Parts: sequence; C-alpha cells; structure tokens
Amino acid sequence: MSTDQRPPTGPADRPADRPSGDWQGLSPLSVWANTAAGALFIVPAAVVGTVVLVLLDLAWWAAAPLPGALALIAGLTVLDMVFLRAVSYRVTGERMEMRSGVLSKAYRSVPRERVRSVDVAAPIYARPFGLCVVTVGTGEQVDAGSDQVKLQYVTAAQGERLRRELLYRGAPAAAEGAEGAPDAEGLELARLDPRWFAYAPATTATLGIGIGALAALIGANAQSEGWIYRWVSEWAGLPSTAEIGAFVMGRLLVVLPVSLLVLLLSGTAVLLAVAVETWWNYRLVREADGTVVMRRGLLNSQSLTVEGRRLNGVTLHEPLVLRSVRGADVRAVATGLGAADDEKTQAKSRLSPPMPRARARELAADLMRTPESPLDMPLSAHPRAALRRRLVRAGWAALGGFAVAGALAWLHSLAAAAWWETAHEIEERLNPLPVATHLVEATPTWGWWLLGAAFAAVAFWYAVGSHRALGHGLHPRYLVVRRGMAVRDTVTLERAAVIGWRITRTPFQRRAGLAHVSATTASGAGMYTASDVGLSQGLAWADMAVPELLSQFLERDDRSPDRPGPAA
Amino acid sequence: MTTDTPRLRPPHHRVDPRAVRWWTTRSLAVTVVLTAIPVVPALIWEPVRFWFLVAAAVIVVPGLVITLVMPRWRYRVHRWEVTDTAVYASSGWFWQEWRVAPMSRIQTVDTARGPLQRAFGLSSVTVTTASAAGPIEIAGLDHALATRVADQLTETTQAVPGDAT
Repeated sequence: MSTDQRPPTGPADRPADRPSGDWQGLSPLSVWANTAAGALFIVPAAVVGTVVLVLLDLAWWAAAPLPGALALIAGLTVLDMVFLRAVSYRVTGERMEMRSGVLSKAYRSVPRERVRSVDVAAPIYARPFGLCVVTVGTGEQVDAGSDQVKLQYVTAAQGERLRRELLYRGAPAAAEGAEGAPDAEGLELARLDPRWFAYAPATTATLGIGIGALAALIGANAQSEGWIYRWVSEWAGLPSTAEIGAFVMGRLLVVLPVSLLVLLLSGTAVLLAVAVETWWNYRLVREADGTVVMRRGLLNSQSLTVEGRRLNGVTLHEPLVLRSVRGADVRAVATGLGAADDEKTQAKSRLSPPMPRARARELAADLMRTPESPLDMPLSAHPRAALRRRLVRAGWAALGGFAVAGALAWLHSLAAAAWWETAHEIEERLNPLPVATHLVEATPTWGWWLLGAAFAAVAFWYAVGSHRALGHGLHPRYLVVRRGMAVRDTVTLERAAVIGWRITRTPFQRRAGLAHVSATTASGAGMYTASDVGLSQGLAWADMAVPELLSQFLERDDRSPDRPGPAA
Repeated sequence: MTTDTPRLRPPHHRVDPRAVRWWTTRSLAVTVVLTAIPVVPALIWEPVRFWFLVAAAVIVVPGLVITLVMPRWRYRVHRWEVTDTAVYASSGWFWQEWRVAPMSRIQTVDTARGPLQRAFGLSSVTVTTASAAGPIEIAGLDHALATRVADQLTETTQAVPGDAT
C-alpha cells in the first residue's frame, strides 16, 4: 500500500514533493565491504583448490584457482560499483524515497508516519569500513521474500541520522511517568550485566547441542569409513574399539554420567559463545522522544529502534529450564516487528538477554511506563474443566506410551541372537564406540515398561503444570494473558491496541463450557489468546478490557432476555 | 459486572438459504475428486483392485456423511450482523468461531464470488483488519445484499477516524 512503482526518472529532476532532503547515495566504501565479504569466502576456497591440485600433481592446473578468484572478485567489484551508483535515497518531510536498479529501475516511497521500526546492523566485515545496514520496517504484514526498504551499506553516521530522522515525530512524548531525568542521551533502561551470561546455557537445547556435536563427529567418522578414528587411535595409542567397548560395558554406572557431563559441558560452551556474541555491549535506552533503542553484539553489532507509540506491550518469556533457575527474558509486542513467521517475529522482538526474573519484570514495567506493573496483577485461574481437558490428553499420551513400550518389549523378546549380531556389526561400522546396541540388548523387559511409566508420569506432570500456567487479568491500561508449560509466555497488550475479538470453540470445549478468547491486534503475533477460559468468564474479561465493543453482542442472565429473533 | 454470567448472543442475520446448496455442491465435488484418485487405478490395475476399492470406501463414506451433515449444521451456525460500531460474524460447524471487529479498525472491505458461488447467486464479504489473525469472512450472502453490505461498511469506515492499527 505504501510502496508504489513509478516510471524511472533521472536523479536530477525532483518529484513534486517538498525537497527538504537531498538525494544521497550509499557509501562508496560499501563496494569494498562487499569485496572483503566475498574475498573472505572466495580466497580460502581458491587456496584450498591450489593445495589440492598441487597434492594431486597437477602443477599446471594449480596456477589457475588464485588468478581466477582474483578476476572473479574484481568482476564482482566492478558490477557492484555500477549498482552502487544507481541506488539513492532521501528523507523528506513526509516520506522516505529510494531508487535502485540498473536494468530494471525501481522507485519506492514510504510515508514517514508508516515507519514503525529502524534496524541498524553492522556485520563484522562492514565494521572496519565504518559501515552499517539500515532496514526500515513498516506496519505491513511482511511476506516471505518481500522487499523491505534496505540500505546496504551507508556510513555509521548516515545510519544514526536515518534512525533519528525517520522515527522523530516532532513533539517529544516525554513526561509520561518516566522516572529519572532523561538527558540528551535518553534514559537507560538496562545494560548488560556479565553475570547474566550464566543463564545462557539454561535451555533444553544444551544437551541437544552437545549430542549434535557428537553426532557430527560420528557422522564424519562414518563418512571416512572409520579412517579418522583409526588415525586418531594410532596417533594417541588408544586400545582397540573392542577393548574400549568391553571397558565401557563393565563400568556403565561411571561412563553414563561422565558422558552426559561431557555433552552438557560442550553444549554449554557453544551456547555461552553464542550469547556473548549476541548480547555483548547490550544496552536498552528510551530516548527523549519516546523511542526505545536496543544496541547489542560483539562481532556483528546490531541496533533496533522501536517507536514508543508502537510498543503496545511486552512478553515475559520463560522457557522451562530457564524458569527452573528463576530466569526470564523480555520481548516486545510492537507493530512493525512482524516477520514472515512466528519464530522470526519472536527472535526479532527480543529486547533483553535471559536475566534474573525479578530484573526482567522490572525492565518490563519500565518499558510499559506504568506506576503499577501489569505483570504484578493477580491473574484469574481457568476453570477445572480446562485441567480435565489436559488430564484427558495426558491420559491418551500415556496410553500411547505404554502401547509403544509394550510393542518394544515384545519385539525385544522376539529378537534372536543372529539379529543382535547384525545390529552390532552395523553399529561397529558407524560408531567407534559401539555400545548403544549392547545397551539395548542388555535392557530387561521391565525396563521398557519402566520407560513407559516414566513417560506417563511426565505427561501428567506436564498437564497439571500447563493448567497452572493458564491465567488472564486486567490492568487499567493493559490486558494480561499467560500460558505455556514448555515455554511460559506472559503477554501484556495495551487495551487500546486491541482491534477485535475472536472466540473459538471445539465440540469438546462446548461440552465443557470452555472457549479460546483471543484479542486480535496489529502488534507482534497478531493475536493473543486466553486459552480454555470459561466462556462467560472470558467474555466478561473481554468486555471489560474494551468497553462498548463486545457488550452489544452479549446477553446477561440477570436481565430479562430481550433476544431479538433471528431475522433471516 | 463480573457477578452475572454473560453469554454471546448469535448475530442477527442468517446467511442466504441457498448457501446450503452451495456448501453441499462444494463438499460433493471434493468427495468425488478425492474418491476418483483410488478408483481410477482400481479400474485399470486388476491385481490390487480390492485394496484400492477399500481406500475409495474409506474416503467416500465420511465424505458423504460430511456432505449430508455439514451444510445444514453450517447454516445453523453461520450468522452475521453489522451495527453502527462493529461487525460481528459467526462461522464453522464442528469448530466454531465468533469474530468481532470495531468499525474504527477496519482497513478494507471486499466482496468476492467464486464460479460456484456465482452459480447460486451468492457472494462473500471479506472484512480485513491490521491483525495477522486473518480477515472476517461472511460467506454465502445474496449477491445484491453482499454488495449493499460492503458499500455500507466502506461508507461507515471512511466516516470513522483512526489509522486502523
């Protein structure tokens, strides 16, 4: 809607718009940044190619890769220069305009009032040149592959100016209960505390990443048909795999915990490194005009700016493991932060690293600028029928688990010695430490049933937990919903940002008197749901949250029902 | 206000009765196409004819049951209403949905009619808001009525101020 295509015009003539801003080009240095980025990949590949060719005794061919790579880089650089000339942008009083393209020219224009967020990123190869990428977010629902306005690259100074200009709306929206004295730099809401990195490994992925690293090693070994492992064991003087296997089987009680520990440690190392790279220099500031700016990143520094008026709420995000160590992180519920899918929206809207829950709640309250935090509101619990639904589901899951356990136990009793031999052989070919099939063979029949019982116990624990997570509440300015056992999200949404209601019921919900009551909004995920709420409880909540909207469609028991008959 | 127990009252207007025939035809068409997929190889390929016919039966029986039950059930559920301040619609049959959107937040109003709807003289009105929750669709209205409703909605939403987000 806000972008349109016009026949290309030369940069000299100006559209009828007020020419308060001049046309500017991208930074000439961006050509070199692109060259550097390309060279980072192309040159090592060429070097490897040369080495391989020399090793293969193809001396003549070995002279080809490096000059070829250089020619390729030079060609790309020249092309880049041509494209760079074609791109120009300007910011006028009302709109931001951008021209691009050499063969097919494009003109895009975005009204400034539609700009909801400005994202400034400085990838590692652009930083030595003092450059950054600016992405301008509008309120549109962004489809996969749609082109946002993206300037790649401008100088850091240009980026900073764009960020300020595009979101500056004249009158500062300050003095709305902001504590502290907002200076020219703005009010700092949060700054990285290195101790928060301790929360980084607190995810269910820690073990998984460790297993992933190990699986990658085993996979590489299998690819080389065991060659890697033989080489390592010869070099280190390791005993044969059979001996190690026997050793492991003899000391399972020691080996299992130790290997778990190793997996945990390697996962922790990876996650810590990622957290440091993502959140180093983290700083969250509210500027004098109300916009919220987040800066972060060690190698790839990022900054995200959200206009204050578009920040319609926050999400307190508590995944299971993080919750168990009393940690949480804060995410924005804002217009213009939508991405192609939910996962991307979630990642884009993060406003803080995992931090202590108390600190996260404090930060959330600061972001919402209310004297009394909506997150401190007591939430109404959802009816017992909601618990019953979850218990029934857990019951079905448990039955399924027992059926699988029984089938496995039965297959186990059927498996003959010859069958196990084959399994061991296959594993020995793939895995230098072939203990998995031995372990399975040694499992007694009751072991399978024990696994089934453990699964059932977890299912019921999960059901009770997810019922206890359900809640909804009202604050004078916000509505609050909470749900989730694996990932508990407490969402606050400004009541003024609700743009409709959606109530859905399955036959089971209708029988149990339950419903999903969702507030639809232009912000964030687009819809926030009070799950399995009692129908009248949920309707009363929705009616109070946005007065004058739902009440005309409700009938109440205490009034005489003056139901107008259905007019066909 | 919380002491009483509010209930959702159904929207005032039913959709056009011809919608029942439209839904029946649509469901029947889908059933026929899906059934044809295993029937065609069953006719050509003798040895596995039995199993393909079993697959066809597995598809055709629930398909016909849905074709019989769904349209009438839908006709009982699908309703709509436009007031001065909001649009209110209910839809679905097994899974039911009620949607409310205030006039001030409506972005676009469209009417659409597929070839099948056109054959029955029907139209759909689609009301879009800025939410990713999807538009409100009132399907199976008489064509003239749908146009009138859309015109009226467009007029009202233009009169109401606000940037619809």
